[in-house]
Amino acid sequence: MKSRITKLLISSFTTLLLPMQSIKADDISSKTINILMPAPFADSTSYLINEYNTKHKNHKKIKVTRGPLETEAMSDLAISSLLLGNSPYDIVLIDVTWLPKYAKAQWISDLSLWFTKEEAKALASGAKLGNYFEGKLYRWPLVADMGLLYWRKDLMDKPPKTPRELIKISKNLQEKGKVKYGYVWQGRQYEGLSCVFLEVINGFGGNWIDHKGEPNLNTKNSYKAVSWLKELITEGISPKSVTNFSEPEALQIFESGEAAFMRNWPYAWAELNKDKSKVKGKVGVTVMVAENNNLATATLGSWGFSILSSSKNKLESSTVIKYLTSSSSQNYLFKKYGYTPTNTDVLKDKVLTIKYPILSSLEKGLSVAKPRPQSPLYAQMSDILQRSLSSILTNKSSIDEEMNRANKSTKDIILSAGK
Amino acid sequence: MNYLLLTPAFLLILLVFVLPLIRYSWMSMHSISVITGLDYIPNNGSNWIRLLNDDRFWRDTIQTIRFAAFSVSIEIVLAIIIALLLSQRIKGKGILRTISLLPWALPTTIMALGWRWIFNTPYGPIDQISSLIGFGTLDILSNPDLAWIATVIGDVWKTTPFVALIILAGLQTIPSDLYEAFKMEGGSPLQSFIKITLPLLKPYILLSLVFRLAQAFGVFDLIQVMTGGGPASSTESIAIYAYLNAMRFLDFGYSATIMIASFILLITICLFTWIFYNKLKSKLSI
Repeated sequence: MKSRITKLLISSFTTLLLPMQSIKADDISSKTINILMPAPFADSTSYLINEYNTKHKNHKKIKVTRGPLETEAMSDLAISSLLLGNSPYDIVLIDVTWLPKYAKAQWISDLSLWFTKEEAKALASGAKLGNYFEGKLYRWPLVADMGLLYWRKDLMDKPPKTPRELIKISKNLQEKGKVKYGYVWQGRQYEGLSCVFLEVINGFGGNWIDHKGEPNLNTKNSYKAVSWLKELITEGISPKSVTNFSEPEALQIFESGEAAFMRNWPYAWAELNKDKSKVKGKVGVTVMVAENNNLATATLGSWGFSILSSSKNKLESSTVIKYLTSSSSQNYLFKKYGYTPTNTDVLKDKVLTIKYPILSSLEKGLSVAKPRPQSPLYAQMSDILQRSLSSILTNKSSIDEEMNRANKSTKDIILSAGK
Repeated sequence: MNYLLLTPAFLLILLVFVLPLIRYSWMSMHSISVITGLDYIPNNGSNWIRLLNDDRFWRDTIQTIRFAAFSVSIEIVLAIIIALLLSQRIKGKGILRTISLLPWALPTTIMALGWRWIFNTPYGPIDQISSLIGFGTLDILSNPDLAWIATVIGDVWKTTPFVALIILAGLQTIPSDLYEAFKMEGGSPLQSFIKITLPLLKPYILLSLVFRLAQAFGVFDLIQVMTGGGPASSTESIAIYAYLNAMRFLDFGYSATIMIASFILLITICLFTWIFYNKLKSKLSI
């Protein structure tokens, strides 16, 4: 009797301990170069990766892990793997806003050993931004991404340049019954709202964080920017529900032909020109409106490769990154998937531009691209801003009260970090 | 010997429940953030002082309690009705029971995404219908006063089947001769429900109450997908705030503090539910 119970106990202990063995699975990781990417990127680069694996028989094979589609979910996965230590990945494709945080936590390594200054010079001006932290290179861009203003070529001769013009044209078109809404954008309380705001506050001559690292959210220009966003809603230029819109919601309205303007990322271009789109061939792309031309800004949202500090294959990883971001790879990714190139020679390729006129609009957008505040505390700053903006746009509090609060909270966060 | 047999289960609980709790309590007494380079620096309880003065935490607490109170009480009422229906002798009872469990079997994120589109303005069916009958669009998810109701509806839709299942199990323990005897004495169906069904169901109701309160208090995925905590943070729950601090802000010390605080709150609420239930029991002398 007793021995049977002992056996039973032993077997239940082993069942409990069994999952722990899987932690030792990182033995395989040194035989391949492991990359973590959001699923869409894993799909689009799969051809390039297959080619690499068949061509370079004597190199370590590339193995891609498909991460979640959504940016923040991807960040959660990457961070979880980094926190547990001994991350199984060599390379992670990271968003521009994560870099300072990852670098500060020492999760990613300095790339300047493998990427020369000449190589960095070959990047388009906008693509150079957001790869450095405290003077060190931590990321090499795969695709440039920036906020763009989509407009309806069939409804107007040329797109608006100033915020006033945008309202005027919208009202006119709405009164004539040509469109239900003037302008759709991302007003949900999430990162997209910060991206929208960065473009607007810069467009009105203001700054979110100035060059001294101080928040400027309670300035006159900042008030003007928020008032304009609010006016869009109160005047009916944007639907009231814009305060719960992320990219898909805005795209759906614009795609069904019910809006004259939309703020979105370059990916929308391919969507709008699919056969199911009601505005196929009727859409133009330009930079965001601004009070004067010099102020027009596009929020930078690019993705790039970083090598993890824990990687045992750093040199080979850098070769893989160079291959995936080479001009020929970028050429392929642009033609097949519409990815905005980051290398100047592809972006300004004359043959390519003639065949794909959108390239020049993308180039223009990228030339005015601006990164969001580059700080390890960015997520907190953005969260404060999103809360305040959402509160104002849904009529929960007044502009100056809320922007003052946001400014103070941002200052406190920076102070508490001792900088 | 008896206790020896319990050790595997006890060890499991120790591993997945007690150990994390001790670790989090310990973390809550340290600064662990991106600023400290993720090193543990003891800070003499300053996380706790920050928490006590953190308006956002208290606001989220109230919003979480509001969410839990409304969704759980609606779920229990609906679940009793559904369980009563499903316990009737009708054709295809098995199929009906399976179908009614479907919402509960769906992954929360998927059904939350579904609800987000159902409440979408202007394309969601709810706004389409209201526009059609002349009320115009409702803009529920973009209204800070109403968005939380949408999250309650989503939760009720998903978890009522779970509660109904528990109540249904309870209904089956009630011997049918009780009802027959009551009927012979001239009792009406409503009276038999109040005098027999409800009192005998009480332990099951309490069980689902505690289960559901604990779950609803930690609500995360549903709200994260439906509203992301907005608009104007009107739907943000404690779990979302703790998640933001850990995964977005990389401030693990404070995140641990929030989680331990919400654990203490939850225990208090469950304790009150228990005391309230016992008082009710002695009053009705069931």
